Amino acid sequence: MSTKHSIAAEKFNQDSGRVTRHDQTFWSVRSKRDGLAYQLEEWEQLRESANLIKKHTITHLADYLEQFETNAKKNGVHVHWAKDADEYNDIVMEIMRQHNVKKVVKSKSMLTEECHLNDNLIKHGIDVVETDLGERILQLMEIPPSHIVMPAIHVTREEVAACFREKGIIEKHGAHAAEGLLKEGEDWRTSSDPTYLTRAARYHLRDNFMEADCGMTGGNFGIAETGDIVVCTNEGNADMSTSIPKLHIVSIGLEKIIPNYKAMGVFQRLLARHGTGQATTVYTSHFRKARPGAEMHIILVDNGRSSILGNIEHWQTLKCMRCGACMNTCPVYRRSGGYSYTYFIPGPIGINLGMLKDKEANYHNCSACSLCMSCDNVCPVKVDLSTQIYKWRQELDSMGHADPLKKMTSAGMQTLFEHPSLYTTALKFAPLANHVPAFMTNIKANTWCYGHTMPEFAKESFHTLWKKGKVK
Amino acid sequence: MSSREEILNRLRGNVRETYDFPDLGFKKLEFADPVAQYIETTTTTAGARVFEIKPTDDINAKIREAYPDARIIASNIPGVLADLNPDTVERAQDLEVVDVGVIKGEVACAENGCVWVPQTMKEKAICFASETLVLIVSRKNIVSNMHEAYERIKFNDYGFGTFISGPSKTADIEQSLVYGAQAARGLTVFLTD
Ligand code: SF4
Repeated sequence: MSTKHSIAAEKFNQDSGRVTRHDQTFWSVRSKRDGLAYQLEEWEQLRESANLIKKHTITHLADYLEQFETNAKKNGVHVHWAKDADEYNDIVMEIMRQHNVKKVVKSKSMLTEECHLNDNLIKHGIDVVETDLGERILQLMEIPPSHIVMPAIHVTREEVAACFREKGIIEKHGAHAAEGLLKEGEDWRTSSDPTYLTRAARYHLRDNFMEADCGMTGGNFGIAETGDIVVCTNEGNADMSTSIPKLHIVSIGLEKIIPNYKAMGVFQRLLARHGTGQATTVYTSHFRKARPGAEMHIILVDNGRSSILGNIEHWQTLKCMRCGACMNTCPVYRRSGGYSYTYFIPGPIGINLGMLKDKEANYHNCSACSLCMSCDNVCPVKVDLSTQIYKWRQELDSMGHADPLKKMTSAGMQTLFEHPSLYTTALKFAPLANHVPAFMTNIKANTWCYGHTMPEFAKESFHTLWKKGKVK
Repeated sequence: MSSREEILNRLRGNVRETYDFPDLGFKKLEFADPVAQYIETTTTTAGARVFEIKPTDDINAKIREAYPDARIIASNIPGVLADLNPDTVERAQDLEVVDVGVIKGEVACAENGCVWVPQTMKEKAICFASETLVLIVSRKNIVSNMHEAYERIKFNDYGFGTFISGPSKTADIEQSLVYGAQAARGLTVFLTD
């Protein structure tokens, strides 16, 4: 049975060069993450702590939100509460009207994407400029992000260059940006050198920072004990957005609140290592008060989050800190790309969040999972992603959307997942399958093979190699 | 009922089990020589430079040495010869022209190169809009990991602080690493006694 995901994925796979590049790009990020993991003996303790801190915070969220609000107000910051996207957009517009805002510079925020903020601002005649380079490229190309951390990685340098030319950025800033950068004989009018294009974008965005009346940021964390909003970026665009305009609006989902600096230490060490395979982002900025003569507003957005807490099977999605690791590792995401999913957040976490948002619109994405569990193994806060996807598949049955082929194997998988010792045994004997005649593992009678080619199992499982010390 | 009450009530009503804050007493990464490790991290992965400054050094000569082509220097640190002062500029925008911003860091972290820079000036734009930065850090204030760093950092009345680990960077175009995205595109740490 085809789903919207499988149909879109098939199309994505027609350009094999692009698929390979996409796959390798994200696998290299995953590998960098692994490299950093092996450098920290406390890696697993950090992950378990992050898991427990999130569980603790989310099950005491009302108290922590109140504490956060009290402290933020003490710092002179305005705090607003929005129950849904409409109320959120209204609050933003009201603040902008009071300040007579004409132009907004914005640093990357998935929440504003979720609430369709940009469309709303444009509708009200406000010029909105994304300042994360990837986001800006997408905004200019009028296409959505295809990953939550590296949103434009699927776009080629040639496409970026063509877009910058079309939008007049090259004409205005190209000659300046090219100074001392391009090789002899290379023409700035046609160059697609990434350093040069980044430089041109830098000058283009500088102009916008200087003219803006308002800076908007998301927040990676809100700290209840102090009222800090913490924003992590590599480009420094959140800092530029808030250092020049005299108005700073923060949009943050309820679940981003954490208790204190002790917790922050744990998350700071995990976020960049998981997301991009770096020991840290370049900037980890703590916004506690507005700048002298400026104003700071924080909008706490629910938009379905408080209801998710009551969902006994899926409440742990609230632990997610949007690091992107689960998509980087997902074999289906890597080979089908962000646009194959019907929800704006792709990959394992996106499958789950999409189902929580709107099952009918997003059940298609449930097919985008091979139940390999790689996501569970990399998630820094231990969201049980694949188990949750598995549960959605069971539910699809009652919705009448289950794929009868996949149903049978899922039942077998359940037995494995619920009995860890069996799972280990199954792994140990998996290499035997290499010697099983192909017709047995590849015939249409084995329905699981229908949508999957048989993987070549390693002679020794990673598990065993690890134990024998062969994996360094 | 206000949205605030509605949200808080729903959150309270939806909690089933509760969980305790965990014990974070596990052993954390420690370096035998955090200073050496800090220099190593900063000059390799973080993409910055480190100048070791002796008490007898002339700081202004060192700034020149770090950025010989600089025309406009900004700082509010006593003793630094500056053309612009972030305390007295009229608007944040005035700092856009700065070639070198000279600022101070208070705690540095060896595991990832992060340096805590609290806002100590009227316009923090100096920390980001300057083309390049000189960041002065004392070797006495280097810790091994971020847990220790978070125990040490302090805020003042400005109510802003940031960990900076290197020059602004991006890999948004085909994942090729480029230094100098939106904020400072070069960083030199002056490590003092
Ligand atoms: S579910 Fe986990 S791995 Fe995926 S984005 Fe969220 S925190 Fe990262």
